[in-house]
Amino acid sequence: MGNITKETPLHGWHEAGGARMSVFGGYDMPLWYPSGAKREHLTVITNAGLFDTSHMALVEISGPDAFDLLQVCFTKDLTACIGKKRTPIESGRCVYGAYLNEEGEVIDDTIIAQMDDRLYLSVVNAGMGATVTRHLRNHAGEYDVAITDLSDRVGKVDIQGPQSARIMAQVLKSPERVFEGMPYFSFKGHFDRQSPLSQDVRLRDDTPLLLSRTGYTGEFGFELFVDPRDLVTLWETLLEAGDAFGLIPCGLAARDSLRAGAKLPLSHQDIGAWPFCNNPWTFALPYDLRGRTFTKQFIGDEALRAHAGSAHTYAYAGYDLRKVSTGDPAFVSDSRGQDIGTVLTSVTDMAIGRSGSRIYSIASPEQPEQFQIRGLSCGFIKVDRELTPGETVELKDNKRTITVEIRDDIRPDRTARRSIQSML
Amino acid sequence: MKEISELYLPDDVRYAETHEWIRIDDDRVRIGISDFAQDQLGDIVFVELPKVGDTFGSGEEFGTVESVKAVSELYIPVGGEVLSVNTELEDTPELVNQDPYNDGWLIEIQPDELAEMENCMTKDDYIELLEGEE
Repeated sequence: MGNITKETPLHGWHEAGGARMSVFGGYDMPLWYPSGAKREHLTVITNAGLFDTSHMALVEISGPDAFDLLQVCFTKDLTACIGKKRTPIESGRCVYGAYLNEEGEVIDDTIIAQMDDRLYLSVVNAGMGATVTRHLRNHAGEYDVAITDLSDRVGKVDIQGPQSARIMAQVLKSPERVFEGMPYFSFKGHFDRQSPLSQDVRLRDDTPLLLSRTGYTGEFGFELFVDPRDLVTLWETLLEAGDAFGLIPCGLAARDSLRAGAKLPLSHQDIGAWPFCNNPWTFALPYDLRGRTFTKQFIGDEALRAHAGSAHTYAYAGYDLRKVSTGDPAFVSDSRGQDIGTVLTSVTDMAIGRSGSRIYSIASPEQPEQFQIRGLSCGFIKVDRELTPGETVELKDNKRTITVEIRDDIRPDRTARRSIQSML
Repeated sequence: MKEISELYLPDDVRYAETHEWIRIDDDRVRIGISDFAQDQLGDIVFVELPKVGDTFGSGEEFGTVESVKAVSELYIPVGGEVLSVNTELEDTPELVNQDPYNDGWLIEIQPDELAEMENCMTKDDYIELLEGEE
């Protein structure tokens, strides 16, 4: 059972399109298309890219106590999670966070969308639908909830990049109405024709979809959820409409290098079976405004308090594009040559380069004269001590040693948070 | 990804099991990687080559090619001294993808024993190896 490689409804399209395929999360997925991962990465920053993300799983949590169960199992405090003012979640909004076990370790990260106050969708990683469903059921106890694993029952594609809204405007029915009041981390519509919400977002051919202002590249764009039977048509419709805007299909290699440059973690690689703390993603924990105490109780909270001084995860960027192979594995050493940890992710963001201490992106408005961007290695390390941004460490695999700088952030001038209106 | 039938595998080179090629051009002996290797690696973004004058025994690692996804070692099919390296690859490593047997060559060597080339595969043997790897 567990070893059968699954396919998304677009598998045949990928193979016919000459994609280099590889198994990820139990699914045979495209790594890159003939245009190559470098061009795909750059195109998401300059134009737009289309990703098949149907390998990701959805879990539905419904019933009068759905909210209460999520308050126990999900890291964010749903009563205080929207915007700087920390208002409660509302229907049409979504939130990033994680599910932890009692030890404070990550079961998976997720985006939770509130469809209505008794119905939530949780988008989790490939192959994690059953695990997360089991975890939620184990904690459902007296709660009046139903938990349904929708793995392989929803098709999903991501359109990412500054042209995404213009392309979506070509394929949506009433795009102005759809785009109105759609901030970052909000959504509209439904992929299920039975849902009244499915009236809110339709393609021109009347296909219903859930359109979400989210993504995993750090760039402006949308995630689209449809009935799996509608997926191939949606994919082809978008590519055709997007051709004039430079849209190209993109594989998982570009997705990986884009997300790393955007300082986003890959579940089970950058976050995983160790306590979820001292990392760049503690915004996913329910800290109070001073960042000291948790505003709610949740599974794993006590373990996180106890682990306050344990391993630290940091983002880094190199000084050229050379990376290390984390599979070797690769180790981190300090300036005295002492081993202090391991490398979690090491990829090349081909869209960035250094001039002095500053990193520029191909999207940066002002760049030094005669400056050529050739890419920088970047990713995440887990070490046994606190480091300060600007500090350098060495990463070593069995081929090479590279010097990298601890960074608060990696690729500058990202577009993810821009308003739709500014991108039309 | 290319099917074996879509690969460009010229007759005038010999192939190593590790997917390098070697060719005698007049009095030059050039080394590069095969169309199969560049296709498997994907976009090559950096090539690390030895210095002129370095010497390597047959099968020794002489450099690396770095693609978006991985860093791979390069092994010398025939031992010898490095006479020149393709400096064009510093600025345009993608030449290895675009033209692996000509503009994308890696190094030129003075072989210790040119006869060692006979240990490398002909095109037909190499195709057989690739079919076995599928």
